[in-house]
Amino acid sequence: MKKSRFFMVLFICFALLVSVSAQAGRVNLKGKKITMSILGIAGWYPSKLGVDMSPAFAKYAKKKWGYDVKFTFEEAPFTSLFQKASASLATKSDDYNIIVSDSQWLGGFAAPGWIVKVNKLLESNPRLKAIKWYDQIVVDTYMSYPLGSKNYWGLPLEGDTMVLYVRKDKLLDPKERKAFKAKYGFDMPKTFEDFEKLTMPKFEKILAFFTRPKEGFYGLAQHTSKVYDFVCTAAHNYIWSRGGRIWDNKTGQVWGILNTDQNARSLAAYKKSLQWMPPGGVNYGNSQIMEAWNNGKVFCAIMWAAVGQYMMHPKGGEMMIVPPPMHLIDGKGKPNRVYSMGGQPWVINAFSDKEHLQVAEDFMEWWYTEDTQMEFARRGGNPVIKSVLDKKGFEKIKPWFRAYKFMLRRDRGRDFWHHPMYSVMLAKQQEAFHAYISGQVKDPKVALDYAAYHLQKILYEHGSTKKAPPKEGAKIRLK
Amino acid sequence: MDASSAMGPGDAGFLTRFREKFLFLENPKYLQHLLLVPVLIFFIVWNVIPLLWLVGLSFYKYVLVTGEPLKFIGLTNFKEIFGSFEIWHALSNTFFFVIIGTLSQTVLGIILGFLFWDSKDLPGRRFALTLIFTPMILAPLATGSFFKLIYDPVFGIVNYFLKSIAGVTIDFLGSTAWALPSVLIVDTWMWTPFMMMMTLAALGSVPKAELEAAEVENLSWYRRLVHVVLPHGKFILMLGILLRTIDAFKSMDIIFTMTGGGPGNATELIGITLYRQAFNAFTMGKASALAIIALLIAISFTSIYLYILQKKEESM
Repeated sequence: MKKSRFFMVLFICFALLVSVSAQAGRVNLKGKKITMSILGIAGWYPSKLGVDMSPAFAKYAKKKWGYDVKFTFEEAPFTSLFQKASASLATKSDDYNIIVSDSQWLGGFAAPGWIVKVNKLLESNPRLKAIKWYDQIVVDTYMSYPLGSKNYWGLPLEGDTMVLYVRKDKLLDPKERKAFKAKYGFDMPKTFEDFEKLTMPKFEKILAFFTRPKEGFYGLAQHTSKVYDFVCTAAHNYIWSRGGRIWDNKTGQVWGILNTDQNARSLAAYKKSLQWMPPGGVNYGNSQIMEAWNNGKVFCAIMWAAVGQYMMHPKGGEMMIVPPPMHLIDGKGKPNRVYSMGGQPWVINAFSDKEHLQVAEDFMEWWYTEDTQMEFARRGGNPVIKSVLDKKGFEKIKPWFRAYKFMLRRDRGRDFWHHPMYSVMLAKQQEAFHAYISGQVKDPKVALDYAAYHLQKILYEHGSTKKAPPKEGAKIRLK
Repeated sequence: MDASSAMGPGDAGFLTRFREKFLFLENPKYLQHLLLVPVLIFFIVWNVIPLLWLVGLSFYKYVLVTGEPLKFIGLTNFKEIFGSFEIWHALSNTFFFVIIGTLSQTVLGIILGFLFWDSKDLPGRRFALTLIFTPMILAPLATGSFFKLIYDPVFGIVNYFLKSIAGVTIDFLGSTAWALPSVLIVDTWMWTPFMMMMTLAALGSVPKAELEAAEVENLSWYRRLVHVVLPHGKFILMLGILLRTIDAFKSMDIIFTMTGGGPGNATELIGITLYRQAFNAFTMGKASALAIIALLIAISFTSIYLYILQKKEESM
């Protein structure tokens, strides 16, 4: 009896110790009223969802930790959000406690120490530590800087991949199918599984078949605009899927990696695809793709899964969402599919005081609870945690979830440079790639040489690589 | 009587003493300097300090987003700009845009101005003028957006007519050959009314007596224009041209909305390049150097106009 009482006391002491140590690092906020500010992306549905759902956190926080939290929101479009956030963070301001970042901006925010390195958070918070991400690509894209390292700076708000939106009514129309087979000698794909196996040469024939300028109907809509990162996003789909690379993440080498003959052929293949786009196809960003798709102008669109909510009802037809086609390595080898990654992480302002940092941590804890992630999915956001994506019936919650889940794999997605000089590099590469697809530069190799030289120069001058740009590169002109 | 109320501002004695103390300000010598103070403060805070800051920054390497401290690099930013083919290309686009734009707006504005000159009895004059002046007061972003739709190769109204009449469609904003003339047309549509307004103001400055004398003398329209109208109206017209030149040189918003500077670099003007350097690439040092070059070019334009005006004045 005495022995059992001793063990009981010992157990209570142990439980108390565990409980106290778990709370030890916590800022006590009980009874306090905190106002949190979030900077989100204007006109971007998943960002809006994150913001819309955040008041539910207030209830969670009140119940679990006993404090009141109120949220204020500010927004800026993609093209100016980084500018707005960095201008604020550069002045060490805590105007925005939590910021919805784009994945490529992690390096830019992390290197100057503007955002919180979340490694400690992930280690010390048992709930965050227990999270199992769906795939390593989630960690690579939304959390790590340098890319692929174990230094984590962001936590995923939502995942996003490229998917293919297809006009199901046209695709399954028996007359169209018969005419296509008669012309090309093979059947158009019909099911999701068929599209999994679809390769670019066959896909191009489908695009050609549905390009009917006299009817005002075209094969494809994809990103091409010079604004923001659009032209690079689409060009990278071709470069990566056809076996090329854009730089060496470890050595910082660009010259000789980006400007290869193989990548030139990939860029040429990208430009070739413009013939199946509606006229004016060199200025397509997100809104132009959505406009073309929703007005029934195109047969298919290679577009982000995140905007699925806005692409559900193409004028005069039905749609299906499938994986984008596989390319062939260098246009003739093995089938391969590596598309650009989208999606946005949350980042936490490092200049916030302890109380706001604590609330930010609590917010993240709440965000990755299964209930919150399921609610996020039901509202049309793309969750990233394994338990939710593997849940039975997940793929049927929204029409794009199956394709999204299919593409959310390290061997099927890749992200831009996670580097502090990202914005400078992007501006140069956008300029070069757009000069080529618009016809200002005739030779794709010239555009690649120009981009490679300038990117190498930027990285070299920044001290991120020991490899100096070649002197002859300075003479390359975009003409 | 309590001492505090004796000293208070409500007291008549206090006011008298206050007036006496500052009586020296009634002297014009002091007053004119005092009245300048608010303007000077405004000018120093909003013009001189930012300008000096801009000049200083142009000698530094400063990329806002790296969080790294500023690094003095002397004239490197300027060297890079002068050695950059892309910036020269943007400058050449800008000069084309400024010269052709200002010229066409001036010619059209003068023609319209003459058409509406002395037309007080014209029915619907006020309505017509309101319609003509509308483009000028529209927000450039809105103008850019709806012209983007007007030019659209698939459902734009321009291509609808082109297709109906000639059976062709033109990708106005997607073609490197058409993009710059297309945005130039929009700029002309927007700013011709301004030159028309300046023309009307110039014509209004011509004394009626001289016009009547010209009529009595039965002078031809050309001689009336050269000998009566221009000597009086040219200063206002030149001011209009000067303002349009400076404004066209800074153009950015409409074009950015319509083409983003593309396709390729076809519509990249110096204003857009400057925006990209500052707010896309965040290379603040280089952007400052470019801003200084642009400023010097704008000042040169102004000086040339002023010189021409002065020369003509002397020759009269």
